[in-house]
Amino acid sequence: MAVETRQRVAVGRSVTKVDGPSLVAGKPVFTLDLDLPGALVGKILPSPHAHAAIVSVDTSEAEAVPGVRAVLHHGNVPRVPYTTAGQGWPEPSPYDTVLFDRKVRFVGDRVAAVAAETEEAAEEALAKIRVEYDVLPAVLSPEDAQADGAPVIHDEPDAEGIYDAQHNIAAAVDIPVGNVARALAEADVAVEATCEIPYSQHAAIEPHCVLAYFDEAGRLVLRTSTQVPFHVRRIVARVVGLDPARIRVIKPRIGGGFGSKQEIVLEPVAALLALRTGRPVRMAYTRQEVFVASRTRHPMRVNVKLGAREDGVLQAIDMEVLSNTGAYGAHALTVLSNVGSKTLPLYNKAPHLRFHGKAVYTNLPVAGAYRGYGATQGYFALEVAMDVLAEKLGIDPVELRRRNHIRVGETSPIFEKIGEGREGTAQIIRSCALGECLRIGADRIGWKENRGRRREDGPWVHGLGMACAMQGSGITGVDMAAATLVMQDDGSFRLLVGATDLGTGSDTILAQIAAEELGVPVDRVLVYSSDTDFTPFDTGAYASSTTYVSGNAVLRAAQEVHRQILAVAAEALEERAADLELTAGAVQSRKTGKRLSLSEIGHRATYVTDQRQIAATASFACPESPPPFAAFFCEVAVDRETGVVRVERFVVAADCGTAIHPQAAEGQLEGAILQGIGHALYEEMLFANSGRCVNAGFFDYKLPSSLDAPQIEAILVPSEEPTGPWGAKSISEIGINGPLPAISNAIHDAMGVRLTQAPFTPERVLLSRRAAGK
Amino acid sequence: MHGGRVRRFHFARDVEEALSLLAAYGSRGAVLAGGVDLLRSPRGDVEGLVDITRIGLSSVRETGGGVAIGATTTLSGVLESQAGHDYAGGILPEVLRAVASLPLRNMATLGGAVVSAHPWADIPTALVALGAEVRWQGEREGRSLVEELYRTPFRGLFRSAVVTEVRFPPWNGAFAYEKVGRTRYDIALLNACCGVGVEDGRIAWARVAVGARPTRGERLPWAEEALVGRVPGEPLWNEVRRLVEERIEVGEDRRASGEWRRTVAGVLVARAVARAARKASA
Repeated sequence: MAVETRQRVAVGRSVTKVDGPSLVAGKPVFTLDLDLPGALVGKILPSPHAHAAIVSVDTSEAEAVPGVRAVLHHGNVPRVPYTTAGQGWPEPSPYDTVLFDRKVRFVGDRVAAVAAETEEAAEEALAKIRVEYDVLPAVLSPEDAQADGAPVIHDEPDAEGIYDAQHNIAAAVDIPVGNVARALAEADVAVEATCEIPYSQHAAIEPHCVLAYFDEAGRLVLRTSTQVPFHVRRIVARVVGLDPARIRVIKPRIGGGFGSKQEIVLEPVAALLALRTGRPVRMAYTRQEVFVASRTRHPMRVNVKLGAREDGVLQAIDMEVLSNTGAYGAHALTVLSNVGSKTLPLYNKAPHLRFHGKAVYTNLPVAGAYRGYGATQGYFALEVAMDVLAEKLGIDPVELRRRNHIRVGETSPIFEKIGEGREGTAQIIRSCALGECLRIGADRIGWKENRGRRREDGPWVHGLGMACAMQGSGITGVDMAAATLVMQDDGSFRLLVGATDLGTGSDTILAQIAAEELGVPVDRVLVYSSDTDFTPFDTGAYASSTTYVSGNAVLRAAQEVHRQILAVAAEALEERAADLELTAGAVQSRKTGKRLSLSEIGHRATYVTDQRQIAATASFACPESPPPFAAFFCEVAVDRETGVVRVERFVVAADCGTAIHPQAAEGQLEGAILQGIGHALYEEMLFANSGRCVNAGFFDYKLPSSLDAPQIEAILVPSEEPTGPWGAKSISEIGINGPLPAISNAIHDAMGVRLTQAPFTPERVLLSRRAAGK
Repeated sequence: MHGGRVRRFHFARDVEEALSLLAAYGSRGAVLAGGVDLLRSPRGDVEGLVDITRIGLSSVRETGGGVAIGATTTLSGVLESQAGHDYAGGILPEVLRAVASLPLRNMATLGGAVVSAHPWADIPTALVALGAEVRWQGEREGRSLVEELYRTPFRGLFRSAVVTEVRFPPWNGAFAYEKVGRTRYDIALLNACCGVGVEDGRIAWARVAVGARPTRGERLPWAEEALVGRVPGEPLWNEVRRLVEERIEVGEDRRASGEWRRTVAGVLVARAVARAARKASA
């Protein structure tokens, strides 16, 4: 669609967030703020073993605990293989999960669930469930999973979609383009980097929680903290055995998700407990359960080999991935695919490519969607390898990126070769300001003046590093969003969207997109979102899709409402619609100057003449996924004697097309950068030899705090994406892809050592330095 | 988190009442001052909580160059007091600002820190280095150097006794504190609190304590001896650094290896001693 260049009234302005006042005032807007009389408390019995067959479950003592109303376990619930990954249909993740199985596959796996009048009664009942286990050998690393004779984690006969269950491989890919082996062998220069990311946690403020109850018509309502209400409805219906038409899913405000709430983990359990008891049931994970039993980032080892000419132009990229999906394969294939699909097109000058890898099962917590979705792991290795190549060639790292990055009008075979669990979609880049991002970012950090200088300040040695990244804007051929826009009799508007604001500000952004088309202030557009009974379909908030996919649906609906408004006005003013324009809350004739306010038009259409509802529903399926681009620069200080790393400054220059709400876009970047700094310096889930996570809580799993945050300068570098609503692309994920490689490269600039295993703890830094003799 | 089995909450009016309530509950009672540890590790067996924050133990007094701090004084309370601020070259603010976060410093009490005595904590290392004395009231009044107390099975003592005060002696010199944590709000991966007095251009006395290694902070008498009588300066700091690295006993836990702790212990001691000497000389 065409991008207009007229003065914009709503888009590009950092308006008050539509949910801001209620959040600031502490209104009861979150899932469990609704206090339903008579609600039971649901709790889950976790497995104490990493791998065990359940021999027997005796619930008699638990059921006798006063106040206990239901106990669920494998013996009394339907066995329906499914995936907890909340993805579009057909679901690309294997059906390797059942609600309660006869086998447990990680410490924390679901064994049973209880609903009781009080939390104390529920906990007492859990303690009184007698489970006899036949403990099996456990697989606690991806290497062990692939060893000859390794225990088979998924030996159940009814699982579907596992790539090779006998060898613990949940998913595998091998995508060759050209002849990468020959190109690497013949390249003027070849380099290699292998980078590893451990288990890490999303750590959203609000834990996973759900309230399940029956409405006055006997329909099941799930009020839940989710990123995917429509997928919740579809999956819960199937797993629990209910007609989807009997289920309503409501997503109130969410206290963060970062991908962890793209999983359907508590909802089917709460639904079944409510069904069994006929009572409302509230469930919430404790923080420890969030760590262990929700989802994590996929730990990965990524190897990148680059072959280049002497002038730095890449000839070959080989990327090999070993991903640990944990006990179940949620997002196993798609996260694995995204490691390549979101990284390799960035450097499209290389004609020879190979992307190959596996996602293997282990008896450890289940990995899933996490902001960046594989790209974060891929960029760590790719951008460290680019730094190694720059060093070997003696070319400035920024210049090396300039010589290789994709540009407007160009494509990459990877777009077509790798999609979400299937082939992708060919696409041409229509907007790209990465060159500008590189220039502006380098200027801001003082790249030319300070890089390679190793400034010393007592024991602190300063270095600069950089990295680039792209992401996507929705999933081609999968994502679809719809919006309904209704003009009310007073001339204001109601916007109904299935889109899911998980704290990102998308409700506000979608209102801005509509308001811009309708020429009204944003507060004239009331937004209702994420209620499967009342809002139209939307695949949900993931894959950086909402601004682009849902935004396009909103824009289309607004354009149709715009047309209807002009038609009503034309009739009233006795003018041709083509001579009218909608601006500043009124329709005005360019020819005669005659004017009709929106409230007059709403009133006329509702009550006076040719009565009708001015409204439109429109949808947008994602034909392509325009990537946002970003250049990341940082300055670190490394204490050469202790190995402590401080990030002193972080500059990110990002092209998200038009920033609909600049402050929200900057906020997305700042948050993602800080989360990425957490990956780089602090975050790592640790496990005992039993497979138990030993730091499942904030006491010993450290997130960067406000005091650890460096000065983060987020710079929005505009471009106009012609397929985006008002020129917009995505911004929510890309920021997390840069800190790991940029910080690693900066440590190298400071100390001359490459940190390739995250997080870069003082110990790893100091011992790497010692091992390198520096 | 829910409230466990706590049935009663008492505001004790004085130490005697607190002790009598504790005695009545036996092992099912617990003292509540800041409550940080009770929140962090809720005890399911506690039925009665005895709040001791209203019995007049929140105070900071200057005592002839030293300082006496009431057991229920919060860490923020110490930080805000002039006497706490001025003591021994400003060591208390230096240590206490490294403890956790501001909201926790507003809750946590000095007496609580003495009793909980976590091996990774900042305060015990400083108490040992500073020669702090703890006073308590149980069946009898008692007092002990914290350093000596920590060599005894002290936890049993405070099931039936209440810490009343911590006394810090005067020092003619200065102390400095060094800590490495993962984040600014983190517990210590390793910490060191060191003090020196400088007279006639030589070190007259030295105190060196290293904690979170991963055991609780203890003094290193051999490092102190190596400093006394010597001329402050880089050569000495380097010598001490090497000495500590060579002789210190360290272990590993999930947070850090012994190898890293050994190296960094020398670094932290050398830095703390050097800073203390600069402060003392100034």
